[in-house]
Amino acid sequence: MAVEKTNNHVLHFLRSAELLKQGAEARVYRGEFLGKPTVVKERFPKLYRHPTLDEKLTHRRTVQEVRSILRCRKAGISVPVVYFVDYTSHCIFLEDIVGSVTVRDYINSAHTSEAKNLEVVARKIGEILAKMHDEDLVHGDLTTSNMLMKRGPGCGEADLLLIDFGLSYISALPEDKGVDLYVLEKAFLSTHPNTEALFETLLKSYSASSKKSQTVIKKLDEVRLRGRKRSMVG
Amino acid sequence: MTVVIGFEGSANKIGVGIVRDGVVLSNPRRTYITPPGQGFLPSETAKHHRGVILTVLKEALQQAGLKPADIDCVAYTKGPGMGAPLVTTALVARTVSQLWGKPLLGVNHCIGHIEMGRLVTRANNPTVLVIALQDIREERLDRARVRICDKLSRKNLVKLRAKIREISPCFCKPFKTIIVPINYHQNGRHSSGGKLPRTGSNPARVIKISNDPSPGYNIEQMAKRGKQYVELPYTVKGMDVSFSGILSYIEEAAHKMLGSRQCTAEDLCFSLQETLFAMLVEITERAMAHCNSQEVLIVGGVGCNLRLQEMMGTMCKERGARLFATDESFCIDNGAMIAQAGWEMFRAGHVTELPDSWITQRFRTDEVEVTWRD
Amino acid sequence: MQYIAKTPQQSELQTAKFIWIASCCVYTGFEMHLSQRLELFPEYTVTQLLFKDVKNATDLRKNAIAGEISGALINPSVLVDPFQVLVATNKALHLQKIGKMKTRSLYSEIIFNLSPTNNISEAFKNFGISDSDSAVQVVLVHADAEQNNMDDILSKVDGQQISVHHISSLSNIAKIKKLYKVSPQEELCGSLLDAVICRMATKDVL
Repeated sequence: MAVEKTNNHVLHFLRSAELLKQGAEARVYRGEFLGKPTVVKERFPKLYRHPTLDEKLTHRRTVQEVRSILRCRKAGISVPVVYFVDYTSHCIFLEDIVGSVTVRDYINSAHTSEAKNLEVVARKIGEILAKMHDEDLVHGDLTTSNMLMKRGPGCGEADLLLIDFGLSYISALPEDKGVDLYVLEKAFLSTHPNTEALFETLLKSYSASSKKSQTVIKKLDEVRLRGRKRSMVG
Repeated sequence: MTVVIGFEGSANKIGVGIVRDGVVLSNPRRTYITPPGQGFLPSETAKHHRGVILTVLKEALQQAGLKPADIDCVAYTKGPGMGAPLVTTALVARTVSQLWGKPLLGVNHCIGHIEMGRLVTRANNPTVLVIALQDIREERLDRARVRICDKLSRKNLVKLRAKIREISPCFCKPFKTIIVPINYHQNGRHSSGGKLPRTGSNPARVIKISNDPSPGYNIEQMAKRGKQYVELPYTVKGMDVSFSGILSYIEEAAHKMLGSRQCTAEDLCFSLQETLFAMLVEITERAMAHCNSQEVLIVGGVGCNLRLQEMMGTMCKERGARLFATDESFCIDNGAMIAQAGWEMFRAGHVTELPDSWITQRFRTDEVEVTWRD
Repeated sequence: MQYIAKTPQQSELQTAKFIWIASCCVYTGFEMHLSQRLELFPEYTVTQLLFKDVKNATDLRKNAIAGEISGALINPSVLVDPFQVLVATNKALHLQKIGKMKTRSLYSEIIFNLSPTNNISEAFKNFGISDSDSAVQVVLVHADAEQNNMDDILSKVDGQQISVHHISSLSNIAKIKKLYKVSPQEELCGSLLDAVICRMATKDVL
């Protein structure tokens, strides 16, 4: 286990919170903070890394996540509200989107009769990503698990939220945005088999919504091709 | 009982191995070692292989105590790899197959690593990190060079040019495999073309990192003496890593740091290892989380690196997962791995007809249709 | 989060037994002040009091500067919700604990934390009270048992105490939007309070 700073009041608090999941780089807890349902994302120390590298990386990712959330909100992209950040234990206290499901679970649980609904969701994802990329924000880890949906029919655009901005960064380069979409494509198609058409819908909606989509899609095609060529290695 | 003989010669190693139902009967190997500071050229490597392959074949049969008649199938590396050595190896395999009247089978090199790793470790369906430390043989890649220079003494200038190919690793789902090509390469000519300028023009001033047994091994040894951690660019995007930042950083900034003695070449080797391996462990962990996998297998030459094994082990321990690291004799390219993959494929009904027994320098792992595993 | 509802009539009862109520809505209808415990700092209680028609703002400000009032005096027109103060107080206590406060005292740190920028004098100008103010929001941070400084505040403020939950009646929405630079498109994805909280929580990395 990680060497925990037992004197830290934040970590002390987390011990009484409910551990939701342990991801590759963070633990996610659920609890009540200042009276509100809250999710805490704790980037715990990675013991395999050199301590200096670990501290720098963890700090940078925490800062980047916080910055990107603010940037998204300013642009009108739905992301959870940040309540509090502790840069010593690398914890971010975020609004808990009560009653939400990940898009991953939503797609996996959807029946074939709901194909129309899935298309609506795909279009919505495309629109939001377009908006995000137009703000020159690159997510860096787009998967369907990193998108939340507030349940309920007739949901507006605000009901689809992006989360997990730990690997995000600012870039205006179409290349970076193309890679962002490529990462999503790989994750999307491997998590949800036989959804090529659905992903195509997503891309179409992206193209229609983004002002700079042409160059990005062109880059995406290039990256796809390169991915094929480049992985031919032993 | 099925006995398969495997020929591997995709890079600077030539090996012949014989496998009978999961038992490695023999696995002799020769390595073409170039002088310090030089890479291996395809034609010269092929020449080396031609010179020793029959001796290695004889050894393999003798050590296994088998006659050609006992063999059921002749497997060879179809690719990926360097053209000329692949051709040499395939040629010999094709000839023996016809002489002995045994079926021929072309095998993907990476799958050889993976199947061998599974055999040795008995891991069931692990997340596999294939790290090819030696040569990656993809000719059209950007060839950035890393130069680590240092004045160790007044007379001697250490010049190590580690070469790390900037290439995105591929995540191959059927195998849960991340293939990461890293290539430390010395200053001087490059194996797949020799297009890089020779910089060893002033040998008195240059101490080269030796190719014996491999540059990666020597970097590991240097890293052990490094103390100070120098921050290097760290790029992870999803399940991909990028090494390009490190390349340019070491070329520019680190060069200056060495000049002003802010750090030593050993420190840089240490930092290079710490950074690269941290990236690798991180993407492996991501892949594990993605596939809900609880087993990790490291194969490929760099799998022998103890620091990488240690870091991966720590990560696995934290996740409650198991790490399998194959030892040196199997991490490095060898004939038995081709034989083992061939054994699996042969049992599943694969054979390669003579007209199809070509080789290819580029051969994606996910192009292989896996029919021998559930 | 637990809310402690207290009225003078109930105080005897409370000394015997605290009534912890998860939701404040039930009691605060007739509650003037709001006392809340912080999850991260269970040893502290935060009490908020709100006054209007305050006649001695100048004296109060002077007292605060001289350190005679152990509380933060906030201009209520820039507050959207008591939650905003809670977020600022939690952060101030956190920074105090790890020794990274930007200002001299816990109370000035609370005021500073309300501001969306890292400019200290600007923060006091916009979020502290000024001589011409006729309303003031007082924030007290105290150990559970301590009740004294609330009486002290009540005796010092010359004005009418109103329920903290009526804070929105005093807020100047246009001013808040301007101070925190909230754009119309941001309000599409959340409330004004969300926008304000986000800026307060993230200003260290601007």
